Amino acid sequence: MFFRVIDKARLPDLVKGLATEYEVIAPIAKGEQFVYAAVTDPADMRLDYDTTLLPPKRFFFPSEETLMRFRVADNEVLDDEVYAAPRVLFGLHPCDINALLLMDNVFSGKYEDPYYLRRREQTLLIGISCTPSETCFCNVWDTNEVHWGFDVFLTDLGDRYFASCRTVKGAEILDRFVENRQVTDQDTTDFQSVVHGFKNSFKRVADTTQLPVLLDAKFDSPIWDEFGDRCLSCGACSMVCPTCYCFDVEDRLEPDQKSGVRVRTWDSCQFKEFAAVAHGQNFRESRASRVKYRYYHKQWGYLSKFERVLCVGCGRCARACPAGITPENVIAALQTGEVR
Amino acid sequence: MYWQLTSSGHLPDEYDVAVIEGAATTGEHIETLRKVRETAAVVIALGTCAVTGGIPALAGTLDYDARYGVVYGDGIAVARGRQVPVPVTSVIAVDYQVPGCPIDPAEFVKVLSRALMGLKDAIPVDPMCAICKTEENICFLDQGKACLGLVTRTGCGAKCVSLSRPCTGCRGLSPEANLPAARRVYADKGLDPAELDRLFDLYNAAREVVL
Ligand code: SF4
Ligand code: SF4
Ligand code: SF4
Ligand code: SF4
Repeated sequence: MFFRVIDKARLPDLVKGLATEYEVIAPIAKGEQFVYAAVTDPADMRLDYDTTLLPPKRFFFPSEETLMRFRVADNEVLDDEVYAAPRVLFGLHPCDINALLLMDNVFSGKYEDPYYLRRREQTLLIGISCTPSETCFCNVWDTNEVHWGFDVFLTDLGDRYFASCRTVKGAEILDRFVENRQVTDQDTTDFQSVVHGFKNSFKRVADTTQLPVLLDAKFDSPIWDEFGDRCLSCGACSMVCPTCYCFDVEDRLEPDQKSGVRVRTWDSCQFKEFAAVAHGQNFRESRASRVKYRYYHKQWGYLSKFERVLCVGCGRCARACPAGITPENVIAALQTGEVR
Repeated sequence: MYWQLTSSGHLPDEYDVAVIEGAATTGEHIETLRKVRETAAVVIALGTCAVTGGIPALAGTLDYDARYGVVYGDGIAVARGRQVPVPVTSVIAVDYQVPGCPIDPAEFVKVLSRALMGLKDAIPVDPMCAICKTEENICFLDQGKACLGLVTRTGCGAKCVSLSRPCTGCRGLSPEANLPAARRVYADKGLDPAELDRLFDLYNAAREVVL
Protein backbone atom coordinates (compact mmCIF):
# COMPACT_ATOMS: atom_id res chain seq x y z
CA MET A 1 0.00 0.00 0.00
CA PHE A 2 1.20 3.53 -0.59
CA PHE A 3 -0.10 6.78 0.78
CA ARG A 4 -0.81 10.33 -0.28
CA VAL A 5 -2.35 13.36 1.37
CA ILE A 6 -5.07 15.40 -0.32
CA ASP A 7 -6.18 18.82 0.80
CA LYS A 8 -9.91 18.66 1.58
CA ALA A 9 -10.68 21.65 -0.62
CA ARG A 10 -9.21 19.77 -3.60
CA LEU A 11 -11.47 16.73 -3.33
CA PRO A 12 -14.02 18.03 -5.87
CA ASP A 13 -11.20 18.01 -8.46
CA LEU A 14 -10.88 14.28 -7.99
CA VAL A 15 -14.60 13.73 -8.51
CA LYS A 16 -14.73 16.00 -11.56
CA GLY A 17 -11.69 14.29 -13.04
CA LEU A 18 -13.14 10.84 -12.48
CA ALA A 19 -16.42 11.93 -14.02
CA THR A 20 -14.66 12.52 -17.34
CA GLU A 21 -13.95 8.80 -17.65
CA TYR A 22 -16.30 7.00 -15.33
CA GLU A 23 -19.83 7.08 -14.10
CA VAL A 24 -19.40 8.32 -10.52
CA ILE A 25 -21.75 6.87 -7.93
CA ALA A 26 -21.75 8.52 -4.51
CA PRO A 27 -24.04 9.05 -1.51
CA ILE A 28 -26.59 11.84 -1.90
CA ALA A 29 -29.48 12.94 0.32
CA LYS A 30 -32.99 11.49 -0.04
CA GLY A 31 -35.22 13.28 2.44
CA GLU A 32 -33.43 12.91 5.73
CA GLN A 33 -31.73 9.73 4.60
CA PHE A 34 -29.17 8.82 1.97
CA VAL A 35 -28.89 6.76 -1.21
CA TYR A 36 -26.15 5.93 -3.67
CA ALA A 37 -26.78 7.60 -7.00
CA ALA A 38 -24.92 8.87 -10.05
CA VAL A 39 -23.45 12.34 -9.45
CA THR A 40 -22.01 14.82 -11.88
CA ASP A 41 -21.67 17.77 -9.52
CA PRO A 42 -19.42 17.01 -6.52
CA ALA A 43 -21.51 19.47 -4.47
CA ASP A 44 -24.37 16.93 -4.49
CA MET A 45 -22.29 14.37 -2.65
CA ARG A 46 -22.94 13.91 1.05
CA LEU A 47 -19.77 12.39 2.42
CA ASP A 48 -21.11 13.04 5.94
CA TYR A 49 -23.83 10.39 5.40
CA ASP A 50 -24.41 7.83 8.14
CA THR A 51 -25.63 4.94 6.00
CA THR A 52 -27.61 4.50 2.80
CA LEU A 53 -31.07 2.99 2.38
CA LEU A 54 -29.73 0.30 0.04
CA PRO A 55 -26.15 -0.92 0.16
CA PRO A 56 -23.85 -0.64 -2.88
CA LYS A 57 -24.43 -4.33 -3.78
CA ARG A 58 -27.01 -3.29 -6.34
CA PHE A 59 -24.30 -1.86 -8.61
CA PHE A 60 -22.93 -5.40 -9.00
CA PHE A 61 -26.03 -7.46 -8.34
CA PRO A 62 -29.10 -5.37 -9.26
CA SER A 63 -32.46 -6.04 -7.62
CA GLU A 64 -33.70 -7.11 -11.05
CA GLU A 65 -31.57 -7.90 -14.09
CA THR A 66 -31.96 -9.64 -17.41
CA LEU A 67 -29.52 -12.53 -17.69
CA MET A 68 -30.30 -13.34 -21.32
CA ARG A 69 -32.83 -13.21 -24.11
CA PHE A 70 -33.87 -16.45 -25.79
CA ARG A 71 -35.93 -17.72 -28.70
CA VAL A 72 -38.60 -20.25 -27.84
CA ALA A 73 -38.67 -22.26 -31.10
CA ASP A 74 -35.12 -23.60 -30.91
CA ASN A 75 -34.04 -22.59 -27.37
CA GLU A 76 -31.38 -20.34 -28.92
CA VAL A 77 -29.76 -17.72 -26.67
CA LEU A 78 -30.10 -14.40 -28.47
CA ASP A 79 -28.15 -12.15 -26.14
CA ASP A 80 -26.33 -12.81 -22.91
CA GLU A 81 -23.85 -9.94 -22.97
CA VAL A 82 -23.04 -8.34 -19.65
CA TYR A 83 -23.26 -4.62 -20.14
CA ALA A 84 -21.02 -2.97 -17.56
CA ALA A 85 -19.86 0.60 -18.00
CA PRO A 86 -16.71 1.81 -16.20
CA ARG A 87 -17.78 3.12 -12.82
CA VAL A 88 -16.43 4.53 -9.61
CA LEU A 89 -18.21 3.94 -6.33
CA PHE A 90 -17.15 6.91 -4.27
CA GLY A 91 -17.43 7.16 -0.50
CA LEU A 92 -17.99 3.60 0.68
CA HIS A 93 -17.69 2.96 4.39
CA PRO A 94 -15.50 0.08 5.66
CA CYS A 95 -18.55 -2.12 6.39
CA ASP A 96 -19.75 -1.90 2.80
CA ILE A 97 -16.34 -2.67 1.32
CA ASN A 98 -16.04 -5.66 3.65
CA ALA A 99 -19.53 -6.71 2.58
CA LEU A 100 -18.44 -6.79 -1.06
CA LEU A 101 -15.52 -9.03 -0.10
CA LEU A 102 -18.02 -11.43 1.48
CA MET A 103 -20.16 -11.31 -1.66
CA ASP A 104 -17.05 -12.03 -3.78
CA ASN A 105 -16.61 -15.34 -1.96
CA VAL A 106 -20.02 -16.39 -3.17
CA PHE A 107 -20.04 -14.99 -6.69
CA SER A 108 -16.46 -15.99 -7.56
CA GLY A 109 -16.40 -19.32 -5.76
CA LYS A 110 -17.20 -22.69 -7.25
CA TYR A 111 -19.77 -21.15 -9.60
CA GLU A 112 -18.44 -17.95 -11.09
CA ASP A 113 -21.10 -15.37 -11.73
CA PRO A 114 -20.10 -13.49 -14.91
CA TYR A 115 -22.66 -10.73 -14.34
CA TYR A 116 -21.44 -9.84 -10.89
CA LEU A 117 -17.75 -10.32 -11.74
CA ARG A 118 -17.82 -8.25 -14.91
CA ARG A 119 -19.28 -5.28 -13.04
CA ARG A 120 -16.83 -5.82 -10.22
CA GLU A 121 -13.91 -5.67 -12.69
CA GLN A 122 -15.28 -2.51 -14.25
CA THR A 123 -15.73 -0.65 -10.96
CA LEU A 124 -13.24 1.28 -8.88
CA LEU A 125 -13.94 1.59 -5.17
CA ILE A 126 -13.03 4.66 -3.17
CA GLY A 127 -13.69 4.28 0.53
CA ILE A 128 -14.06 6.96 3.15
CA SER A 129 -13.83 6.99 6.94
CA CYS A 130 -17.04 7.41 8.94
CA THR A 131 -18.53 8.18 12.33
CA PRO A 132 -20.51 5.35 13.93
CA SER A 133 -24.27 5.98 13.98
CA GLU A 134 -26.80 4.75 16.54
CA THR A 135 -27.29 1.50 14.65
CA CYS A 136 -23.71 0.70 13.57
CA PHE A 137 -22.06 -2.34 15.14
CA CYS A 138 -19.30 -3.25 12.70
CA ASN A 139 -16.93 -3.16 15.68
CA VAL A 140 -18.55 -6.41 16.85
CA TRP A 141 -17.34 -8.25 13.74
CA ASP A 142 -14.08 -6.32 13.20
CA THR A 143 -15.43 -5.00 9.94
CA ASN A 144 -14.80 -1.42 11.04
CA GLU A 145 -11.38 -1.80 9.43
CA VAL A 146 -10.77 -2.68 5.82
CA HIS A 147 -7.39 -3.60 4.40
CA TRP A 148 -8.12 -4.66 0.86
CA GLY A 149 -10.90 -4.68 -1.68
CA PHE A 150 -10.65 -0.94 -2.44
CA ASP A 151 -8.58 1.18 -4.78
CA VAL A 152 -8.27 4.22 -2.52
CA PHE A 153 -9.42 4.75 1.05
CA LEU A 154 -9.71 8.29 2.35
CA THR A 155 -9.36 8.88 6.08
CA ASP A 156 -10.67 12.27 7.11
CA LEU A 157 -8.03 14.17 9.12
CA GLY A 158 -10.10 17.35 9.40
CA ASP A 159 -8.52 19.67 6.83
CA ARG A 160 -7.09 16.89 4.65
CA TYR A 161 -7.49 13.26 3.68
CA PHE A 162 -4.99 10.53 4.36
CA ALA A 163 -5.33 8.49 1.17
CA SER A 164 -4.37 4.81 1.28
CA CYS A 165 -3.88 3.45 -2.23
CA ARG A 166 -4.42 -0.28 -2.37
CA THR A 167 -4.04 -0.63 -6.14
CA VAL A 168 -1.85 0.90 -8.82
CA LYS A 169 -4.99 2.12 -10.49
CA GLY A 170 -5.94 3.90 -7.28
CA ALA A 171 -2.59 5.71 -7.13
CA GLU A 172 -2.86 6.56 -10.81
CA ILE A 173 -6.23 8.24 -10.54
CA LEU A 174 -5.03 10.34 -7.62
CA ASP A 175 -1.97 11.47 -9.51
CA ARG A 176 -3.94 12.21 -12.63
CA PHE A 177 -6.92 14.03 -11.18
CA VAL A 178 -6.04 15.73 -7.91
CA GLU A 179 -3.17 17.66 -6.42
CA ASN A 180 -1.61 15.52 -3.68
CA ARG A 181 1.58 15.19 -1.69
CA GLN A 182 3.71 12.65 0.15
CA VAL A 183 2.80 11.70 3.70
CA THR A 184 4.75 13.31 6.57
CA ASP A 185 5.28 11.87 10.06
CA GLN A 186 2.73 14.36 11.33
CA ASP A 187 0.12 13.00 8.89
CA THR A 188 0.75 9.46 10.12
CA THR A 189 0.47 10.55 13.76
CA ASP A 190 -2.80 12.34 13.04
CA PHE A 191 -4.06 9.30 11.12
CA GLN A 192 -3.35 7.10 14.16
CA SER A 193 -5.21 9.39 16.50
CA VAL A 194 -8.24 9.58 14.17
CA VAL A 195 -8.52 5.81 13.74
CA HIS A 196 -8.17 5.22 17.48
CA GLY A 197 -10.85 7.79 18.17
CA PHE A 198 -13.06 6.02 15.63
CA LYS A 199 -12.51 2.65 17.24
CA ASN A 200 -13.46 4.02 20.64
CA SER A 201 -16.57 5.84 19.48
CA PHE A 202 -18.90 2.88 18.94
CA LYS A 203 -22.08 2.96 20.94
CA ARG A 204 -23.12 -0.64 20.55
CA VAL A 205 -21.53 -3.77 21.86
CA ALA A 206 -23.02 -7.22 21.37
CA ASP A 207 -21.92 -10.27 23.31
CA THR A 208 -21.04 -12.73 20.58
CA THR A 209 -19.22 -15.17 22.86
CA GLN A 210 -19.45 -18.69 21.40
CA LEU A 211 -22.30 -17.64 19.13
CA PRO A 212 -22.10 -20.67 16.80
CA VAL A 213 -22.27 -23.00 19.81
CA LEU A 214 -25.27 -21.14 21.17
CA LEU A 215 -27.05 -21.34 17.84
CA ASP A 216 -26.74 -25.11 17.87
CA ALA A 217 -27.26 -25.64 21.57
CA LYS A 218 -30.38 -23.47 21.59
CA PHE A 219 -31.80 -24.75 18.34
CA ASP A 220 -35.17 -25.48 19.95
CA SER A 221 -35.27 -22.41 22.16
CA PRO A 222 -38.66 -20.68 22.50
CA ILE A 223 -36.98 -17.40 21.56
CA TRP A 224 -37.41 -18.39 17.93
CA ASP A 225 -41.16 -18.78 18.35
CA GLU A 226 -41.26 -15.35 19.89
CA PHE A 227 -39.36 -13.81 16.98
CA GLY A 228 -41.53 -15.80 14.58
CA ASP A 229 -44.66 -14.32 16.16
CA ARG A 230 -43.28 -10.82 15.64
CA CYS A 231 -41.95 -11.28 12.10
CA LEU A 232 -44.03 -9.99 9.18
CA SER A 233 -42.23 -12.21 6.64
CA CYS A 234 -41.75 -9.07 4.63
CA GLY A 235 -38.16 -9.72 3.52
CA ALA A 236 -37.10 -6.11 4.08
CA CYS A 237 -34.11 -7.31 6.11
CA SER A 238 -32.63 -9.25 3.18
CA MET A 239 -33.21 -6.50 0.63
CA VAL A 240 -31.29 -3.86 2.57
CA CYS A 241 -28.52 -6.22 3.64
CA PRO A 242 -25.17 -5.69 1.90
CA THR A 243 -24.30 -9.36 2.38
CA CYS A 244 -27.55 -11.10 1.41
CA TYR A 245 -27.08 -12.58 -2.02
CA CYS A 246 -30.06 -14.86 -2.60
CA PHE A 247 -31.91 -14.54 -5.87
CA ASP A 248 -34.74 -16.06 -7.84
CA VAL A 249 -34.66 -16.74 -11.58
CA GLU A 250 -37.71 -16.52 -13.79
CA ASP A 251 -38.32 -16.89 -17.53
CA ARG A 252 -40.72 -14.27 -18.87
CA LEU A 253 -42.14 -14.74 -22.33
CA GLU A 254 -43.04 -11.85 -24.59
CA PRO A 255 -46.78 -11.62 -25.32
CA ASP A 256 -46.23 -13.26 -28.74
CA GLN A 257 -44.60 -16.20 -26.91
CA LYS A 258 -41.87 -16.43 -29.53
CA SER A 259 -39.07 -15.09 -27.37
CA GLY A 260 -38.48 -14.33 -23.76
CA VAL A 261 -36.06 -13.08 -21.16
CA ARG A 262 -34.52 -14.82 -18.21
CA VAL A 263 -34.62 -12.45 -15.26
CA ARG A 264 -33.15 -12.68 -11.82
CA THR A 265 -34.46 -10.79 -8.83
CA TRP A 266 -33.45 -10.51 -5.19
CA ASP A 267 -35.03 -13.14 -2.99
CA SER A 268 -35.29 -13.59 0.76
CA CYS A 269 -35.22 -16.62 3.02
CA GLN A 270 -38.01 -14.89 4.96
CA PHE A 271 -40.47 -15.53 2.13
CA LYS A 272 -42.48 -18.69 2.49
CA GLU A 273 -41.91 -19.87 -1.06
CA PHE A 274 -38.12 -19.62 -0.63
CA ALA A 275 -37.91 -23.15 0.77
CA ALA A 276 -40.83 -24.62 -1.14
CA VAL A 277 -39.86 -27.57 -3.31
CA ALA A 278 -41.62 -29.89 -5.74
CA HIS A 279 -44.68 -31.68 -4.46
CA GLY A 280 -45.67 -28.73 -2.29
CA GLN A 281 -43.19 -29.57 0.47
CA ASN A 282 -41.69 -26.71 2.41
CA PHE A 283 -38.85 -27.35 4.76
CA ARG A 284 -39.21 -23.95 6.42
CA GLU A 285 -42.93 -23.59 6.71
CA SER A 286 -43.12 -21.65 9.98
CA ARG A 287 -42.06 -18.04 10.40
CA ALA A 288 -40.01 -19.03 13.44
CA SER A 289 -37.95 -21.47 11.37
CA ARG A 290 -37.35 -18.79 8.77
CA VAL A 291 -36.15 -16.12 11.18
CA LYS A 292 -33.92 -18.73 12.78
CA TYR A 293 -32.55 -19.75 9.42
CA ARG A 294 -31.53 -16.18 8.60
CA TYR A 295 -29.35 -16.08 11.70
CA TYR A 296 -28.10 -19.58 11.20
CA HIS A 297 -26.97 -18.81 7.72
CA LYS A 298 -25.31 -15.55 8.66
CA GLN A 299 -23.65 -16.46 11.92
CA TRP A 300 -22.91 -20.10 11.38
CA GLY A 301 -23.47 -21.52 7.87
CA TYR A 302 -21.36 -18.97 6.07
CA LEU A 303 -18.82 -18.92 8.88
CA SER A 304 -18.28 -22.66 8.61
CA LYS A 305 -17.50 -22.24 4.94
CA PHE A 306 -15.64 -18.94 4.68
CA GLU A 307 -14.40 -18.32 8.24
CA ARG A 308 -16.25 -15.03 8.52
CA VAL A 309 -19.79 -14.29 9.62
CA LEU A 310 -22.11 -13.05 6.86
CA CYS A 311 -22.78 -9.72 8.55
CA VAL A 312 -20.75 -6.53 8.64
CA GLY A 313 -22.76 -4.74 11.31
CA CYS A 314 -24.02 -1.99 9.03
CA GLY A 315 -27.30 -1.85 10.97
CA ARG A 316 -29.47 -1.52 7.87
CA CYS A 317 -31.67 -4.48 8.76
CA ALA A 318 -32.14 -3.05 12.24
CA ARG A 319 -33.36 0.20 10.68
CA ALA A 320 -35.51 -1.51 8.06
CA CYS A 321 -37.29 -4.18 10.09
CA PRO A 322 -40.73 -2.82 10.99
CA ALA A 323 -40.97 -5.39 13.79
CA GLY A 324 -37.74 -4.40 15.52
CA ILE A 325 -36.01 -7.74 14.94
CA THR A 326 -32.33 -6.80 14.93
CA PRO A 327 -29.10 -8.84 15.03
CA GLU A 328 -28.38 -7.33 18.42
CA ASN A 329 -31.77 -8.39 19.83
CA VAL A 330 -31.38 -11.87 18.43
CA ILE A 331 -27.84 -12.27 19.76
CA ALA A 332 -28.90 -10.93 23.16
CA ALA A 333 -31.85 -13.33 23.23
CA LEU A 334 -29.52 -16.23 22.47
CA GLN A 335 -27.27 -15.20 25.35
CA THR A 336 -29.99 -14.55 27.90
CA GLY A 337 -32.85 -16.77 26.72
CA GLU A 338 -35.17 -13.78 26.76
CA VAL A 339 -36.57 -11.66 23.94
CA ARG A 340 -36.62 -8.02 24.82
CA MET B 1 -64.19 -12.37 -28.37
CA TYR B 2 -67.36 -11.57 -26.51
CA TRP B 3 -67.72 -8.39 -24.45
CA GLN B 4 -70.95 -8.24 -22.53
CA LEU B 5 -70.96 -4.49 -21.96
CA THR B 6 -70.83 -3.81 -25.70
CA SER B 7 -73.18 -6.50 -26.88
CA SER B 8 -76.85 -7.28 -26.41
CA GLY B 9 -76.49 -10.85 -27.65
CA HIS B 10 -76.72 -13.91 -25.47
CA LEU B 11 -73.78 -15.38 -23.66
CA PRO B 12 -71.93 -17.87 -25.83
CA ASP B 13 -72.16 -21.54 -24.94
CA GLU B 14 -68.50 -21.95 -24.19
CA TYR B 15 -65.33 -19.89 -23.74
CA ASP B 16 -61.62 -20.59 -23.77
CA VAL B 17 -60.89 -17.81 -21.32
CA ALA B 18 -63.41 -15.74 -19.38
CA VAL B 19 -62.11 -12.50 -17.90
CA ILE B 20 -64.45 -11.16 -15.22
CA GLU B 21 -64.35 -7.69 -13.76
CA GLY B 22 -66.32 -6.20 -10.89
CA ALA B 23 -68.01 -7.40 -7.72
CA ALA B 24 -71.21 -9.46 -7.83
CA THR B 25 -74.02 -7.18 -6.64
CA THR B 26 -77.23 -8.97 -7.72
CA GLY B 27 -78.65 -12.45 -7.81
CA GLU B 28 -78.41 -12.37 -11.58
CA HIS B 29 -74.65 -11.74 -11.31
CA ILE B 30 -74.30 -14.81 -9.16
CA GLU B 31 -76.16 -16.94 -11.68
CA THR B 32 -74.10 -15.56 -14.56
CA LEU B 33 -70.90 -16.29 -12.70
CA ARG B 34 -71.91 -19.90 -12.07
CA LYS B 35 -72.82 -20.33 -15.70
CA VAL B 36 -69.55 -18.85 -16.90
CA ARG B 37 -67.63 -21.13 -14.57
CA GLU B 38 -69.37 -24.13 -16.10
CA THR B 39 -68.78 -23.05 -19.67
CA ALA B 40 -65.31 -21.50 -19.52
CA ALA B 41 -62.13 -23.53 -19.58
CA VAL B 42 -60.27 -20.77 -17.75
CA VAL B 43 -61.57 -17.96 -15.52
CA ILE B 44 -59.55 -14.86 -14.70
CA ALA B 45 -60.75 -12.48 -11.98
CA LEU B 46 -59.65 -9.02 -13.10
CA GLY B 47 -59.25 -6.09 -10.74
CA THR B 48 -59.72 -5.63 -7.04
CA CYS B 49 -63.56 -5.67 -7.10
CA ALA B 50 -63.50 -9.15 -8.63
CA VAL B 51 -60.62 -10.38 -6.47
CA THR B 52 -61.37 -8.97 -2.99
CA GLY B 53 -64.72 -7.20 -3.40
CA GLY B 54 -62.88 -3.88 -3.47
CA ILE B 55 -64.65 -0.65 -2.62
CA PRO B 56 -68.19 -1.96 -3.41
CA ALA B 57 -67.82 -4.51 -0.60
CA LEU B 58 -67.56 -1.60 1.86
CA ALA B 59 -71.34 -1.30 1.44
CA GLY B 60 -71.70 -4.48 3.44
CA THR B 61 -69.88 -3.26 6.54
CA LEU B 62 -73.01 -1.69 8.09
CA ASP B 63 -76.74 -2.05 7.42
CA TYR B 64 -76.73 -2.51 3.67
CA ASP B 65 -80.41 -1.63 3.01
CA ALA B 66 -80.26 1.52 5.13
CA ARG B 67 -77.15 2.62 3.23
CA TYR B 68 -78.85 1.96 -0.08
CA GLY B 69 -81.67 4.30 0.97
CA VAL B 70 -79.26 7.05 2.00
CA VAL B 71 -77.49 6.95 -1.35
CA TYR B 72 -80.38 6.40 -3.76
CA GLY B 73 -83.36 7.69 -1.77
CA ASP B 74 -86.61 5.84 -1.17
CA GLY B 75 -88.99 4.79 -3.89
CA ILE B 76 -86.25 4.55 -6.53
CA ALA B 77 -86.45 1.49 -8.76
CA VAL B 78 -83.44 -0.52 -7.71
CA ALA B 79 -81.61 -3.39 -9.33
CA ARG B 80 -83.61 -6.56 -8.97
CA GLY B 81 -82.17 -9.04 -6.50
CA ARG B 82 -79.59 -6.59 -5.22
CA GLN B 83 -77.38 -7.94 -2.49
CA VAL B 84 -74.27 -7.06 -0.50
CA PRO B 85 -71.48 -6.83 -3.08
CA VAL B 86 -69.11 -9.79 -2.95
CA PRO B 87 -65.98 -10.67 -4.91
CA VAL B 88 -66.14 -13.08 -7.82
CA THR B 89 -63.60 -15.22 -5.98
CA SER B 90 -66.12 -15.89 -3.21
CA VAL B 91 -68.76 -17.15 -5.63
CA ILE B 92 -66.80 -19.38 -7.98
CA ALA B 93 -63.32 -20.88 -8.14
CA VAL B 94 -61.10 -18.79 -10.41
CA ASP B 95 -57.93 -19.95 -12.10
CA TYR B 96 -56.07 -16.65 -12.15
CA GLN B 97 -56.33 -13.38 -10.27
CA VAL B 98 -55.16 -9.93 -11.30
CA PRO B 99 -55.63 -7.70 -8.27
CA GLY B 100 -55.15 -3.94 -8.24
CA CYS B 101 -57.21 -0.77 -8.32
CA PRO B 102 -56.46 0.04 -11.05
CA ILE B 103 -54.83 -3.08 -12.46
CA ASP B 104 -51.41 -2.99 -14.05
CA PRO B 105 -51.96 -3.86 -17.74
CA ALA B 106 -48.53 -5.47 -17.88
CA GLU B 107 -49.54 -7.83 -15.09
CA PHE B 108 -52.72 -8.70 -16.97
CA VAL B 109 -50.76 -9.50 -20.12
CA LYS B 110 -48.43 -11.70 -18.08
CA VAL B 111 -51.33 -13.56 -16.51
CA LEU B 112 -53.08 -13.96 -19.86
CA SER B 113 -49.91 -15.43 -21.38
CA ARG B 114 -49.65 -17.88 -18.52
CA ALA B 115 -53.28 -18.84 -19.06
CA LEU B 116 -52.71 -19.37 -22.79
CA MET B 117 -49.64 -21.50 -22.08
CA GLY B 118 -51.47 -23.50 -19.44
CA LEU B 119 -49.08 -22.47 -16.65
CA LYS B 120 -50.55 -22.19 -13.20
CA ASP B 121 -51.18 -18.86 -11.51
CA ALA B 122 -48.02 -17.27 -10.15
CA ILE B 123 -49.59 -14.44 -8.21
CA PRO B 124 -47.09 -13.10 -5.66
CA VAL B 125 -47.94 -13.97 -2.07
CA ASP B 126 -45.56 -11.97 0.11
CA PRO B 127 -46.14 -8.53 1.66
CA MET B 128 -45.02 -5.32 -0.04
CA CYS B 129 -42.16 -4.03 2.13
CA ALA B 130 -39.35 -5.91 0.35
CA ILE B 131 -39.97 -4.26 -3.01
CA CYS B 132 -40.55 -0.95 -1.25
CA LYS B 133 -37.03 -1.26 0.17
CA THR B 134 -35.56 -1.99 -3.25
CA GLU B 135 -37.17 1.26 -4.43
CA GLU B 136 -35.34 3.04 -1.59
CA ASN B 137 -38.48 4.60 -0.20
CA ILE B 138 -38.45 6.13 3.24
CA CYS B 139 -40.87 4.02 5.29
CA PHE B 140 -44.09 5.78 6.26
CA LEU B 141 -44.22 3.89 9.53
CA ASP B 142 -40.92 5.48 10.53
CA GLN B 143 -42.56 8.86 9.97
CA GLY B 144 -45.44 7.87 12.25
CA LYS B 145 -47.80 7.47 9.29
CA ALA B 146 -50.02 4.48 8.61
CA CYS B 147 -49.10 2.31 5.63
CA LEU B 148 -50.66 -1.03 4.72
CA GLY B 149 -47.71 -2.39 2.74
CA LEU B 150 -46.67 -4.64 5.58
CA VAL B 151 -49.76 -6.85 5.10
CA THR B 152 -50.65 -6.17 1.44
CA ARG B 153 -49.93 -8.58 -1.41
CA THR B 154 -46.86 -7.44 -3.33
CA GLY B 155 -46.62 -7.21 -7.12
CA CYS B 156 -47.17 -3.55 -7.96
CA GLY B 157 -43.59 -2.49 -7.25
CA ALA B 158 -44.77 -0.41 -4.27
CA LYS B 159 -46.08 2.17 -6.74
CA CYS B 160 -47.97 4.33 -4.27
CA VAL B 161 -45.18 4.57 -1.74
CA SER B 162 -42.75 5.44 -4.53
CA LEU B 163 -45.16 8.28 -5.40
CA SER B 164 -45.12 9.43 -1.76
CA ARG B 165 -48.48 7.92 -0.81
CA PRO B 166 -48.90 5.17 1.74
CA CYS B 167 -50.07 1.77 0.52
CA THR B 168 -53.87 1.52 0.91
CA GLY B 169 -54.03 -2.24 0.40
CA CYS B 170 -55.65 -2.27 -3.04
CA ARG B 171 -54.02 -5.58 -3.95
CA GLY B 172 -55.63 -7.34 -1.03
CA LEU B 173 -54.31 -9.18 1.98
CA SER B 174 -51.06 -11.05 1.48
CA PRO B 175 -51.71 -14.73 2.29
CA GLU B 176 -48.44 -14.52 4.22
CA ALA B 177 -49.45 -11.45 6.21
CA ASN B 178 -48.97 -11.63 9.97
CA LEU B 179 -51.84 -9.39 11.11
CA PRO B 180 -51.27 -9.65 14.87
CA ALA B 181 -47.60 -8.73 14.34
CA ALA B 182 -48.59 -5.84 12.08
CA ARG B 183 -50.97 -4.46 14.72
CA ARG B 184 -48.13 -4.68 17.19
CA VAL B 185 -45.88 -2.73 14.81
CA TYR B 186 -48.56 -0.04 14.62
CA ALA B 187 -48.66 0.19 18.41
CA ASP B 188 -44.85 0.35 18.59
CA LYS B 189 -44.78 3.19 16.07
CA GLY B 190 -47.35 5.18 18.04
CA LEU B 191 -50.29 4.38 15.75
CA ASP B 192 -53.63 2.92 16.80
CA PRO B 193 -53.61 -0.81 15.95
CA ALA B 194 -57.35 -0.63 15.16
CA GLU B 195 -56.46 1.87 12.44
CA LEU B 196 -54.78 -0.91 10.48
CA ASP B 197 -58.03 -2.85 10.21
CA ARG B 198 -60.11 0.22 9.58
CA LEU B 199 -57.91 1.41 6.71
CA PHE B 200 -57.70 -2.08 5.32
CA ASP B 201 -61.50 -2.19 4.96
CA LEU B 202 -61.35 0.26 2.05
CA TYR B 203 -60.52 -2.47 -0.46
CA ASN B 204 -60.90 -5.52 1.71
CA ALA B 205 -64.16 -5.28 3.64
CA ALA B 206 -65.11 -8.72 2.29
CA ARG B 207 -61.81 -10.33 3.35
CA GLU B 208 -63.60 -12.88 5.52
CA VAL B 209 -65.37 -14.39 2.51
CA VAL B 210 -62.23 -14.38 0.37
CA LEU B 211 -60.04 -16.21 2.83
S1 SF4 C 1 -27.44 -8.60 8.73
FE1 SF4 C 1 -28.10 -6.46 9.09
S2 SF4 C 1 -26.34 -5.49 10.11
FE2 SF4 C 1 -25.60 -7.42 9.21
S3 SF4 C 1 -24.80 -6.82 7.21
FE3 SF4 C 1 -26.95 -7.43 6.90
S4 SF4 C 1 -28.13 -5.53 7.06
FE4 SF4 C 1 -26.09 -5.11 7.91
S1 SF4 D 1 -29.80 -14.57 5.25
FE1 SF4 D 1 -31.36 -15.42 3.89
S2 SF4 D 1 -31.52 -14.05 2.11
FE2 SF4 D 1 -29.63 -13.56 3.23
S3 SF4 D 1 -28.03 -14.73 2.18
FE3 SF4 D 1 -28.75 -15.98 3.91
S4 SF4 D 1 -30.35 -17.26 3.05
FE4 SF4 D 1 -30.01 -15.60 1.60
S1 SF4 E 1 -37.58 -7.20 8.13
FE1 SF4 E 1 -38.21 -7.94 10.16
S2 SF4 E 1 -40.37 -8.42 9.93
FE2 SF4 E 1 -39.53 -8.29 7.86
S3 SF4 E 1 -38.91 -10.41 7.35
FE3 SF4 E 1 -37.12 -9.40 8.21
S4 SF4 E 1 -37.18 -9.94 10.41
FE4 SF4 E 1 -39.24 -10.33 9.57
S1 SF4 F 1 -43.66 2.43 3.47
FE1 SF4 F 1 -45.23 0.82 3.65
S2 SF4 F 1 -44.71 -0.70 2.08
FE2 SF4 F 1 -42.91 0.61 2.40
S3 SF4 F 1 -41.65 -0.48 3.92
FE3 SF4 F 1 -42.97 0.98 5.04
S4 SF4 F 1 -44.78 -0.24 5.61
FE4 SF4 F 1 -43.73 -1.36 3.99
